[in-house]
Amino acid sequence: MNTLLVNVQGAVTPECSKTHIAYRFFLAKSGGRMKIDFSYSPKNLEDHARARTLIEQGLDRYIEDELREQAKSKWQSYLPLKNLITLSVDDPSGHRGAAHRHDPEQHLFISGLESSPGLSKGALQAGMWTVTLSLHAIVTDDCRYSLQIWHEEDHG
Amino acid sequence: MNWMACELHTHTFHSDGGQSLEELAAGAKALGFDCIALTDHNTMSGLWNKEAVEQQTGMNIIQGMEWTTFFGHMVTLGVKDYIDWRPVGPGDIHAGLARVHEHGGIAGMAHPFRPGSPMCTGCYWEFELRDWNELDYIEVWSTTFAPLKNNNARAFRLWTDKLNEGFRIAATSGRDWHRQEQTDEPLSVTYLLMEEHGGSITDKAVAALSAGRASVTLGPRLDLGVHFGGQLYGIGDAVPEGPSPDHTIELQAAADFEARKEHWELPEQIYTLRFHSNLGMVSELPYAADSKGCNVTLSREGLRWVRAELWGTIRGIRTMIAFTNPIYFDEPGGVITLNDYTISTDHGTQRLYGYAR
Repeated sequence: MNTLLVNVQGAVTPECSKTHIAYRFFLAKSGGRMKIDFSYSPKNLEDHARARTLIEQGLDRYIEDELREQAKSKWQSYLPLKNLITLSVDDPSGHRGAAHRHDPEQHLFISGLESSPGLSKGALQAGMWTVTLSLHAIVTDDCRYSLQIWHEEDHG
Repeated sequence: MNWMACELHTHTFHSDGGQSLEELAAGAKALGFDCIALTDHNTMSGLWNKEAVEQQTGMNIIQGMEWTTFFGHMVTLGVKDYIDWRPVGPGDIHAGLARVHEHGGIAGMAHPFRPGSPMCTGCYWEFELRDWNELDYIEVWSTTFAPLKNNNARAFRLWTDKLNEGFRIAATSGRDWHRQEQTDEPLSVTYLLMEEHGGSITDKAVAALSAGRASVTLGPRLDLGVHFGGQLYGIGDAVPEGPSPDHTIELQAAADFEARKEHWELPEQIYTLRFHSNLGMVSELPYAADSKGCNVTLSREGLRWVRAELWGTIRGIRTMIAFTNPIYFDEPGGVITLNDYTISTDHGTQRLYGYAR
């Protein structure tokens, strides 16, 4: 039997950069496989004028005075600016890993014998689980995400 | 003890790398490394088959993880289990450092001056460090052909400034190696002087880097010693106080041009060997590749640390080719006391830290 545990869509804005969104949910039965479908869009900031402003503001903060103008002249080397949301998983006893990568669409799973790269395999334990979305950078005015978490009880 | 050629900053597809641990280890073997640290972003799951990969490839693998936070990237080595980076805010890094140390690990700033968000999220170090004694090392050479990069030159200056302030912090290189791709650019190596015992490579590497037994290079391995009071002190050691503050010491340095020589290329030339210290450059000597080493005798008065640097031409560019971590000199007066004060600037309020003995 497959049980949909979390089904959520959300919208985030640049002000949400450097925040975490945690979804806590109850897994009623131990064992089986957890499937996590996660996506967000858009990935890239296509407005190059806006990107140039953000890059130049960043270089003002990060580059020393004498090298700043030279760095700004190469602002295009930083294109495209990207949204980055990563996903991590905690079970009732501890951490089960993270999928820290740029893919804007990820289909992840955890089970007793196998797991997606970044996540730790091991039997699923009944209790409160947490899936955390870490918003490293939101550079587009609007970014929509979608998260579905399933428990496939019969899957080993 | 043995010098081991290490690559201390790598990734696999368990985070955002494009390689398996097997591919990474085999690639490192082909480049003449003895040892790699797997430092995936915010996960340690890539280590699940570490022992099998070590047996298969003959590569030694150090357990690590790169804290890939919103406010800085911090490479950790030697921690056996995941330590959570997510609760750590820009003022909380000391809590994170304490947990790393409680779990037997060490931590270093990764590429501290690489431009950060939104170009490279969290890549620029913005954590507030109130006590630099808590930091174990700084990755001063990041990526390939490292000494030419402005961000690395700035990190190297930061390291030197902290040594001058009296902190004993190690310096390393790290390629931040994400995929197997050919590059013509010179690669950095961090040599760690590891003890010979039956313990794990992770424990040996952590012990070596904690003790500052590290030498970084694009080519030959540079070594440094101090003769004092009938004893020879090596990289990372602290020379005890002498009978008088101006007691004479002998510095000796040598570059091993046989080390990994199939994997780097330098034109024939006369190099420059520099002894650099808190007093600035104390000596500069010509150095030939077939030299057995060179020695300098001087007073230790005022010396708190000294390192060796090898300068020369590589790919037509004159630059630093290798540097050692320092040998330190104990001084009367003991432990560093932290001064902590705040100033206001056009960019807001900043806390400044100094020290006094």
